[in-house]
Amino acid sequence: MELKDLKRVRIVVSILVFVVVTYLFLDLGNTVSPRLSSAVLAFQLLPALTKTLVSLGLWSIGAVAILAITLFVGRVYCSFLCPLGTLQDLVIHIAGRIRGRRKFRYSRPEYALQYGILVITLLLFAAGSLFLLNILEPFSLFGRIMQGIVRPIIIAGNNLVGLLLRGLDSYAVYTIPLHAPAVGVLGSTIVLLLALGYLSYYHGRLFCNSLCPAGALLSLVSRFSLFQIVVDRETCTECGLCEKVCKARCIESKQKRIDYAACIGCFNCLDACPTIGLKFAGLKVAREYNHLPTQETGRRRFIAGSALALGGAIRTGKDSASAGGPDSSSLDARLAPRQLTPVTPPGSRGVAHFTTRCTACHLCVTVCPTQVLRPAFLEYGVVGLFQPKMDYWTAYCTYDCVICTTTCPTGALMPLTPDEKKRVQLGKAHFVKDDCIVVDKKTDCTACSEHCPTKAVKAVPYEKNLRLPELNNDICIGCGACEKACPTKPRKAIYVEANPVHLQAKLPEVKELEQKEEELKEFPF
Amino acid sequence: MNRRTFFKSGLSASAITGSYLLFGKEGVALSGSAFFSDIVPHDLVAVRGGEADLMFDRGIDALGGMKTFVRKGETVAVKPNIGWDVSPERAGNTNPGLVRRIIEHCFDAGAKQVYVFDHTCDNWQGCYSRSGIERAAKDAGAKVVPGDSESYYQSVSIPGGRSLSEAKEHEIILGADVFINVPVLKSHSGARLTIAMKNLMGVVWDRGFWHSNDLHQCIADFAAYRKPDLNVVDAYAVMKRNGPRGVSVKDVVTMKAQLISTDIVAVDTAAVKLFGSEPEAVRYIHLAADRNVGRMDLENLKIKKIAV
Repeated sequence: MELKDLKRVRIVVSILVFVVVTYLFLDLGNTVSPRLSSAVLAFQLLPALTKTLVSLGLWSIGAVAILAITLFVGRVYCSFLCPLGTLQDLVIHIAGRIRGRRKFRYSRPEYALQYGILVITLLLFAAGSLFLLNILEPFSLFGRIMQGIVRPIIIAGNNLVGLLLRGLDSYAVYTIPLHAPAVGVLGSTIVLLLALGYLSYYHGRLFCNSLCPAGALLSLVSRFSLFQIVVDRETCTECGLCEKVCKARCIESKQKRIDYAACIGCFNCLDACPTIGLKFAGLKVAREYNHLPTQETGRRRFIAGSALALGGAIRTGKDSASAGGPDSSSLDARLAPRQLTPVTPPGSRGVAHFTTRCTACHLCVTVCPTQVLRPAFLEYGVVGLFQPKMDYWTAYCTYDCVICTTTCPTGALMPLTPDEKKRVQLGKAHFVKDDCIVVDKKTDCTACSEHCPTKAVKAVPYEKNLRLPELNNDICIGCGACEKACPTKPRKAIYVEANPVHLQAKLPEVKELEQKEEELKEFPF
Repeated sequence: MNRRTFFKSGLSASAITGSYLLFGKEGVALSGSAFFSDIVPHDLVAVRGGEADLMFDRGIDALGGMKTFVRKGETVAVKPNIGWDVSPERAGNTNPGLVRRIIEHCFDAGAKQVYVFDHTCDNWQGCYSRSGIERAAKDAGAKVVPGDSESYYQSVSIPGGRSLSEAKEHEIILGADVFINVPVLKSHSGARLTIAMKNLMGVVWDRGFWHSNDLHQCIADFAAYRKPDLNVVDAYAVMKRNGPRGVSVKDVVTMKAQLISTDIVAVDTAAVKLFGSEPEAVRYIHLAADRNVGRMDLENLKIKKIAV
């Protein structure tokens, strides 16, 4: 294999990863096992790193492997494994088709901005907010684009096909409910997608070298890569072709040098070079070949950028502090008055663990069979932007379903077995007696009790032969079945109030049931 | 043009136009026929002592076989209770073996197509799969149809309904020539017991309306509007408490019984007694009897008891 072939390898691998990750988000029939999907996603850098902070596993190997590879040959992650990178490559490819063969020109990398964002991201992370990751983390942004924009389109198409097939008496393609999107989340995702599209259409992989925190981290590591691409001063003919195909715009062909910290390892240059003017060289040689003539200025710019970033971080931190947690003004009027904090998903251990680990990729939202998991906008406050919540208005959590907990790639949701999950109390039911149909209209209802999987909501005798719900919160798991089933409008007479930290519910007491002998013999009529 | 072909041609058109308005009136015009009750030799068949499928063989035989109800080339809607994502031994859903055998009888009688569905409470795919009914129905050759999207339901008006004057009814029930209702006998918090009439709640879209507008009256109103052609009550395993979902397998007793009738009120009345409760305690049965949907006076009915 020659160096030129690396580009083809990159294209094959990146498309493969892109297709697989895309499929995870568009898999309407939930055909992918959580085990397989978490194996694939163990190789998404920032989710794997975040999850490693919670526990060790395949993802830790994934994260270390990516950092090790970067230390070896540079940021190939950005071109091989990052689905958002491949999405940008797609736009760049289309731009090439539309605007004619794109000719990139060297542009000095925005290291100051890039590392500044990394610094703020880390500071916020340390302060307990994933605010910037929730906007910019590339896998998660890719996930939100797929889940929020592409998937609904696919579902609409599916439903149209299903409708047409029903005309032919076939129910092979069933209707999938399309829920109204959270406007803030969808709007933000569209804006980010447009911004990403604009950047890649006109500026190549600028996102990866300015806004992307994963890119910034790998950029820092790649400064110490043992092997780096250099322009061979002997054999280079100064044709400039390498610069023209460089999506990261990091090759300064006239100076015969490469800003290797900005190189995303796409290997277009190796393929384009008509001679053997580009080669891999060891760190020492590479430093000499690629050294910045204006390194002093670069360092100064970096320090200035960091100072700017720090200021920004402090301000953002203040914003989130002043918000004081969940933004109550954004809550829906249909919610009961005391229900201020969203219920966090099973496996999330509580608001604190969840909001400090979730990068808002929305894969849990994608795989949730009942769609009780919905994207939130500012319900967790500014600090918890886009992180999902349990929406008991839409649906409720299936008693022994654990798909979200085993799917989460960041460790925000940690795996639970069905038996463990049956005892995790996400919140507690609250009953507003005066709003209840039974009290209000004096007719039977107790739909809440019907749906309750543990009978934490029981129907007990009430006046005039009626039955009224009665709560036993010791065995309530906060699944929301009662709230979803409650027919009162506009407010539910029974609703789940979140446990800020998940608790253990008791198991329902199971008494033996005596069967009468005569029940098996004669009919009583 | 019979009801089915009318529906079929209409559906093809509607799939393109997206309009379902047509079917409401159609549903009303043909509902509430009491045809079969005049030709069957018994008002109620009560079978006891065998497996659910075997009991059905004997029971339907006593009513002259499935060909009494299903003629060659007709379509059949079989509506079990598939409400909950629980395994068969929890008795939260109709016995899958019984569903399979009913479908087999329909095809033996010459049915052109048999449809099975329920508007489930838990997530429908979980219910269909865990109950064993999807597998059983497909094995027997039936079409398993979802019920979880409003697009499958069409508006109908309920003439004479006191609390329920309109509903959205599943297109399968509207379109089928024969409607076989296959509930499982269970305890139930709001309705006290869920049997045949309560099982009809799974053919409509908006159950919340029923719950908030006198549940018992709505159950009776809908039973008056749409009487199934045949009711088969599965009482093989019976959830005696914590219904309708149940908490554990300890809520269930084995009764090995089955009740079959064209009279939905009679079959519910008998099932209440079988459960060990009194029909007086279940208000919707009275309300339905008052509207002459069927008869509660079991002592005056022709009841055939079979021991397997």
